Amino acid sequence: MMPVGQMTKMVVSNTLRSPKHFVLSAFGIVIGIAAFVFFMSLTSKVGMVLEKIFPLEQVQVVAPRAQFLGKDMSKKLDDAIVEQIRKRPEVAGALPRMSLTFPAYGRGDFEGQDLKFEVGGFADGVDPAHIGTDPALKSLFKDWDEAEKGKRVACVPPPNPLDDEDAPAQSAPAPDVPEVPAAPSAGWGAPAATGSGSASGSGSAIGSGSATGSGSATGSGSATGSGSATGSASVAAAPAKTPYVNPCPNPDRYYCDESDRTCHHRVPVVVSPTLLELYNGQFAKSHGLPIIDQDLAKFIVERGGLSRMRFTIGLGQTIVAGSNAGIDKSKMRRVEAALIGISPAAMPIGMTVPIEYIRRWNREFRGEEAATAYSSIIVTLRSKDRLAVFGQWLQDDLDLRLEDSLGERFATVILVIQVLFLVISVIIIVISAINIAHNFFMQITERRRELGILRAVGATQSDVRLVIIGEAAIIGIVGGGLGVLVAVGAGALLDYASAHFVPNFPFKPKTWFDFKTWIWMSGIGLSTVFCIVGGYLPARKAAKLEPAAALTQS
Amino acid sequence: MLHGGPFARWLPKLRKKSCSQAVSRLAGGARVPAVAKQPVTEKSGVVVRVRDVSKSYGNGAVRTQVLKKVSLDVSEGEFVALVGQSGSGKSTLLNIIGGLDQPDSGEVEVLGLDTTRASERKKAAQRNSSIGFVFQAFNLLDHLSCLGNVTIPAAFAHGAKDVEQRGLEALRRVGLADLAHRRPNELSGGQKQRVAIARALFGSPRLLLCDEPTGSLDSDTGRGVIEFFQELNSRDKVTLLIVTHERRVSSAAGRVVAMRDGEIIDATEEVLTSQAGPA
Repeated sequence: MMPVGQMTKMVVSNTLRSPKHFVLSAFGIVIGIAAFVFFMSLTSKVGMVLEKIFPLEQVQVVAPRAQFLGKDMSKKLDDAIVEQIRKRPEVAGALPRMSLTFPAYGRGDFEGQDLKFEVGGFADGVDPAHIGTDPALKSLFKDWDEAEKGKRVACVPPPNPLDDEDAPAQSAPAPDVPEVPAAPSAGWGAPAATGSGSASGSGSAIGSGSATGSGSATGSGSATGSGSATGSASVAAAPAKTPYVNPCPNPDRYYCDESDRTCHHRVPVVVSPTLLELYNGQFAKSHGLPIIDQDLAKFIVERGGLSRMRFTIGLGQTIVAGSNAGIDKSKMRRVEAALIGISPAAMPIGMTVPIEYIRRWNREFRGEEAATAYSSIIVTLRSKDRLAVFGQWLQDDLDLRLEDSLGERFATVILVIQVLFLVISVIIIVISAINIAHNFFMQITERRRELGILRAVGATQSDVRLVIIGEAAIIGIVGGGLGVLVAVGAGALLDYASAHFVPNFPFKPKTWFDFKTWIWMSGIGLSTVFCIVGGYLPARKAAKLEPAAALTQS
Repeated sequence: MLHGGPFARWLPKLRKKSCSQAVSRLAGGARVPAVAKQPVTEKSGVVVRVRDVSKSYGNGAVRTQVLKKVSLDVSEGEFVALVGQSGSGKSTLLNIIGGLDQPDSGEVEVLGLDTTRASERKKAAQRNSSIGFVFQAFNLLDHLSCLGNVTIPAAFAHGAKDVEQRGLEALRRVGLADLAHRRPNELSGGQKQRVAIARALFGSPRLLLCDEPTGSLDSDTGRGVIEFFQELNSRDKVTLLIVTHERRVSSAAGRVVAMRDGEIIDATEEVLTSQAGPA
């Protein structure tokens, strides 16, 4: 074989002397590689965004449903199972979730709108340790009732709506003037009592900010928010139509609980990015509500603080008529909650609170069994690739299964799109390779005499073959490089258009492309390989030319 | 001695030749030792040895026999003119000797290399280092300069040194050092042929094979080329085998080999006078 340096020099020289041939051969490759890099980078980025919204390495373990004579015989997910799962080598973490097992519904005022939503079935609890790394969120998302047990300040709760059936349903209170739930017409049993809840129960969770109540007019006039419980009795007898003033210290975060007449921290609530997407994409538009940016903290501050994100949860209450028939009415009560942030650990559709709240409420309304059974276990795998192993173990050893995840479905869709674009790109590249082969066949016919001369002065068949393949490889490398540049340019144009003409929305990426090293390296590699394949047959033909015959070409 | 020394690697091949009795024919019928120490041509001073070479082109009914059992020896330092009318097979024989074409049958040994059996790589290496070619149509690469054309053999040689220097020296020998950086299309026919000769001389070949080297040149230029070849042969002892149908070239040669219809015939005066061109 001829020296590599000499071959490179000859290959480059041959390529440069025939720019027309180069352009004709490289054009298709440039387009094919540009399409490949463009689509791979686009789908890769979209996949990343979706993975952020629907984490793929997170799976949900549930117990298969089993019933016998109408009785639920499903396997119970308890702490022992959680521990077993955590010990698996492929598991990075296991996060038990506990659903609210009895009816409840929320009500709140958001941006001037009275929102009602069902909470039962759309609420669960998680361990605060798993809520995320945001320090602000971590400081708020905890079991305040347990943490402040025995330290609570006595207070005068808002009047029972039953005392004033004619009170206006919702008068917007001042930010620090709290708001007893809208005066119900039928006491605690009535949906309006603790407020809120759109039927969707999801988007409205975010929007339920300020309104645990609407400041029923039967307020406790003299309670000036000092937090003192003194004088509350007379307050209760105060003339109607005087707004109730939250007597608790730090009324932005505390409310006066009616059951024990002490100040409680509002139940911290987080919602998922998925819910935020649904709210922004559908609910906000249809209800004329503002879009909420990912920076929920900023949104909350702009609206006057956490108290504007508060809402009431009526435990044992429901807006689904009759569904709470089995609930002891004496247990029905109201608590206040506040939306404090967004977390991927939150349930996709609904609200999530510290698990101990749910455990206590379940125990209170459904007994000990409900307080120790988890609804599901969110398992974070060390790698997406370990899913099959984990799923098999789960089924074989624990008789449990994995719940279908939205993320997995999106990932499948993205994969299908990615494969589709990949196939299109490869088809373009294959056609280009055929075109290259055709061009090289023509070139070899034109260059017969030249090839004969090279053979006459000492080139071997493999030298000739390598020179031709080298020329094809150069087309591949340069064409692939140009294709990458075209893709990057097209990507920049699309990003510019996205930044200037597409309205902002949560999770909207600054760039729609992730030009990973492996993508553009694959692009150039693919183009080089296909060009070499395209150039191989012509090179073989060139190498097999008899020098004497080649030299007789006129 | 038989099992060592610089020629030890030739032994198996030469044993094989002995079996085919090729070597005995070279020695004029006399038996040669079963094991030779070196190639027969080298030992006997013969640089080109052609035996019973046949070649045909085409297929089936249209197959044309170009060479018919041709045998020829060329000794080192000889200046041989291969003459004959067009279609007599002389260019084909030259190409076979130069390894640019393969015979259908027969044996060819050039500078000690059995080209009918040697690998493609060895034949290419021989063309690169020991054989020079000069063609009627010059066969220069138009996209290279004169110097680039002259030094092109170096592209296929490992460890070639002083390439540009040697290329300029070759051009200087043919009187074209000043035109080293011109492209062939800027030169006259005579100048092109001199560049082609310089390329043939670049590797200091022992054998120069020329196919109608003066065929495209005017009378004066052609004469200059012939004189150059004569000088090359007499001074540098380069073996020359020139295919020509010009009388003036054959007149300059030390030996004339005539061909007709694919066979070597006696180079009678009749044959020589039938050649075209000035004497």
